[in-house]
Amino acid sequence: MGDGRKKILLVGDNPFHGISHLSQEQARIRGNAMTYPEYAANLVMTSLDNEANGFMFSVSETTLSILKILHETEGDKRPGLYALVPYAFEYVRLATQLGTSGLAKKFAKQIMVSGNVRAIAMGLKGVIRMDPVTLLKTYLIYEISRIKSSAGKQANLESLLLHEIITDMGLALNLDWLFKSYVDFMLKLGIKPGFDTRNFAYLVKKFNGWGINFRDVIIAAPFNKVGFQMDPSKRECETALATLDETNVIAISILAAGYLKPLEAIEYIGSLPNIKGVAVGVSKEQHARETFKLLKNRLE
Amino acid sequence: MRLSRESLRVAVIGLGKMGLLHASILNTLPNVELNALCDKGALIRKFCKRVFDRVRVVDDLEKLSDLDLDVVYVTTPIPSHFIVTETIYSSGIARNVFIEKTLASSHDEAKKLCELAQSFGDINMVGYMKRFAVTFRKAKDLLDQDTLGEVVSFDAYAYSSDFLGSEKSSKTSASRGGVLRDLGAHVIDLALWFFGGLEVNSAKLEQPVDECSEDSAQFRVNRSDGLEGWFSISWCRENYRLPEFGLVIRGSEGIMRVNDDRVELKLNDGISSSWYRHDLNDNVGFLLGAPEYFREDEYFIKSVLENRNVDPSFYTASKVDYIIDQVKSRAGNNG
Repeated sequence: MGDGRKKILLVGDNPFHGISHLSQEQARIRGNAMTYPEYAANLVMTSLDNEANGFMFSVSETTLSILKILHETEGDKRPGLYALVPYAFEYVRLATQLGTSGLAKKFAKQIMVSGNVRAIAMGLKGVIRMDPVTLLKTYLIYEISRIKSSAGKQANLESLLLHEIITDMGLALNLDWLFKSYVDFMLKLGIKPGFDTRNFAYLVKKFNGWGINFRDVIIAAPFNKVGFQMDPSKRECETALATLDETNVIAISILAAGYLKPLEAIEYIGSLPNIKGVAVGVSKEQHARETFKLLKNRLE
Repeated sequence: MRLSRESLRVAVIGLGKMGLLHASILNTLPNVELNALCDKGALIRKFCKRVFDRVRVVDDLEKLSDLDLDVVYVTTPIPSHFIVTETIYSSGIARNVFIEKTLASSHDEAKKLCELAQSFGDINMVGYMKRFAVTFRKAKDLLDQDTLGEVVSFDAYAYSSDFLGSEKSSKTSASRGGVLRDLGAHVIDLALWFFGGLEVNSAKLEQPVDECSEDSAQFRVNRSDGLEGWFSISWCRENYRLPEFGLVIRGSEGIMRVNDDRVELKLNDGISSSWYRHDLNDNVGFLLGAPEYFREDEYFIKSVLENRNVDPSFYTASKVDYIIDQVKSRAGNNG
């Protein structure tokens, strides 16, 4: 079943944020234990001891705390880090409470307080000109500095991925110039630019049209047996995947948010071409011990 | 009035998160030309001018009047819906209007907007997007098929943690219209869609966060044939990471629970079934935010192109404003 090539096997962070895309009710019943950084960090470490080789996470206070614990506990291990920015949930919540302008002010204050001179200087320039590219670069520098201050300067930050809300809004609005600037900027920093999307087929079509090289980027997108969040359809996403020359796609939502059993989910992923890796959330130590071994056995 | 062109010229007024979300989805639809954006904020306009190079960005509604627009989306804060929409009709900016819920700040305003739409408009719709969620659609189908027999009672809820622990939010929560308009409107609309006309019997409002708008509401309703319903609404509820909406519906033949994620049916004869989103064909042409946003925009645009009336129209949506006014009035009488 496996293709003999080493796969990227990432621990996902959804359970650590109390997320269940199957049922929010279920997430509430499950309780808050998984959102405690110590508990979550232990699950990540157990996964890394059992064939996982990286961690995919949204940059939030919770995951930064997890990174700090990992760094302090297993400083020399340096798993591959795949960071999603921004942590959209927190920004949407703040926009709800403070309004869009209130959110912008709060964010500007955070950058100022961070003391990151490069980010502050670039941010001021961006605000004065209201230049989206400069503002994006400011934001990226700020987030990278937050990750490195928690995970250590030697952290193996493999990729910084734009959250689905940003990626998909950019795709919808044809912001090719923004995507290209992002790719160039990240490549210069030596970090692989990434895109998290719920519209994989649409992204492939647009990137081909815009001349963005799939070799340069990482794409994270849902792939699962039941077509959950594979828009516009499972078939179109599979067809788009098959057209790629490069295998830089990380499959997410492979369990369709817990709807599928691991074995049937992995069998489906194993049947797809061009999948470079998967990200799976785990909520119990037993899951952490079993899931990634199973993935390695079946996919590689 | 039938449109003479196949592609619609569209403007979005109000560039908060809902405005940007609708503008993005509209831009993926065939037959739509995103033509103009309007916002009072100087910074957001400056930013949008840099982002949207082929779209007119203006600060004043009147500047939209010479753009020959077919459709306008109103995504401004609720308190401004009436004046903005009145201007759209009176200045002849467009005849087809979509307003993000709620229709207005009161039932009086809502009625006036219905009259204006009748006189000066064609197709009009209000963004009660929960009707486009596959789980609530499934529940509506089951009710229409009389699966539960005679419906006797229901409990409805809308909860979020958006303002939990929030100390200073008067301005924002008031601009969102209070919890009844912000969260409650969705579940009130669902109940009206499921059960038809309802009247409020008793109501209680609380303002734990601020005094300018209510932060939680409980009220009892009934229908003329005796069906009874209970609503509980709050945006200060613990552990609701995302807003959640749901109903428990009891009938002579069984009980149904429905929320954003799942429909669960338990019949008296022992048969029980449940459906997750996964089971209900939840895919859409372009997924942004939630599938229901795409469905409602696609439905509205198609309806305009085909000159077909829509639901929820202004008239349908005005009934939500009626219930909200009743809740406030009953709560006032109680206090």
